[in-house]
Amino acid sequence: MVRLARRERVDLPVPQQDQTEERLRPLMIRSLEGDSGAHRQLLGVLGRYLRGYFSRRIGATSGEVEDLVQETLLAVHLKRESYDRSLPFTPWAYALARYKLIDHLRRRKRAHQVPLEDAGALFAAEDAEEGALRTDLDRLLQRLPDRQRSLVEDVKLQGLSVEEAAQKRGVSAVSARVMLHRSLKWLNQALRDENE
Amino acid sequence: MRTSDLIEILARDVRATPPGIVNKRLLAALLAGGLVTFAIVALGLRCQPLLAAVQQPWFWMKAAYTCLLTLAGAVIVRRLSVPGARVGAAPLAAGLVILAMLALGTGQILFTAPADRAALWLGHTWKVCSPLILLLAVPVYACLIAAIRRLAPTRPALTGAAAGFAAGALAATLYGLHCPEQAAAFVASWYTLGIAAATALGAIGGRRLLRW
Repeated sequence: MVRLARRERVDLPVPQQDQTEERLRPLMIRSLEGDSGAHRQLLGVLGRYLRGYFSRRIGATSGEVEDLVQETLLAVHLKRESYDRSLPFTPWAYALARYKLIDHLRRRKRAHQVPLEDAGALFAAEDAEEGALRTDLDRLLQRLPDRQRSLVEDVKLQGLSVEEAAQKRGVSAVSARVMLHRSLKWLNQALRDENE
Repeated sequence: MRTSDLIEILARDVRATPPGIVNKRLLAALLAGGLVTFAIVALGLRCQPLLAAVQQPWFWMKAAYTCLLTLAGAVIVRRLSVPGARVGAAPLAAGLVILAMLALGTGQILFTAPADRAALWLGHTWKVCSPLILLLAVPVYACLIAAIRRLAPTRPALTGAAAGFAAGALAATLYGLHCPEQAAAFVASWYTLGIAAATALGAIGGRRLLRW
């Protein structure tokens, strides 16, 4: 059973939550409009909150926190179309994080009762220090077909833009975009299978 | 791979997303599945003489019942397909519509002479009605599930049930084009049973198909 002592529940005063909302929602909307800088910034902030949230829920020493952070960031990325721009962002993000937490506990065959709290439970504290990983995404990426793998590596290791990477590998920018997106969807599935 | 590296990669995979894509996907799924089911009804089962039927109140009683349930089902699916949205009053509305139909059917039975009750309740087609509705729900359900899989339902079984319910209600609406049964008691029983079966099987399917 996950320990969910009452004291762990964090009820933020409303103003602070509003601040988080006001800070993150515009980032999300710009990300949906195709702003890659806003997307990077949003995922960075979310990653720090997710790390804090998962640490409080499954224990910072469990060695699974960072894996769960990565899996959830992938999900935020791949599922961001499901965010309705007319609604607040923090409940969307919290529901997604809670779903990933429950799914994680279920696959670990642990009791997966996670109380439905206010979105403030996710946005209680940031934690910037990346923890150790059990599943290395780089290892999973080795299983990708050569063309896709080299594209992801160009983007990751050399920091190339998709267009630059496409040019280097002699493919069109459009097909490079499609390949990158497919690789990420594949990676998400591989990560889930790995932890099954 | 460090988390910051992952974020760098994700940031490069950003494309503009038009607003309202959730509704578009779900409506397209209902439309596509509905067309397949309509084709099966029109070409396989054959429609009843519709020109005569549309002049009868019982035709519209059936249509109103199943259309309202389809609408409620679609709203519930929409709400359950995205994280953090409240389900709202749609399930309550669907429940009230079903209760009203059951009351109407029961009333009809009570006002019928006991000797005629069985014939009214069972009609001529009670054995095939629910199974056909369930079968006709399959194309709609399949399209809905395909659309929901691209969204983010946080309650897979419940969302699957809602998809089964909406699919069953739409299938029942289209089945009404074929089915010549006229009694409220018939519709309240066998139509509702078909939709309920689609809901139950939809939940089982959702458990397996809607995890992400």
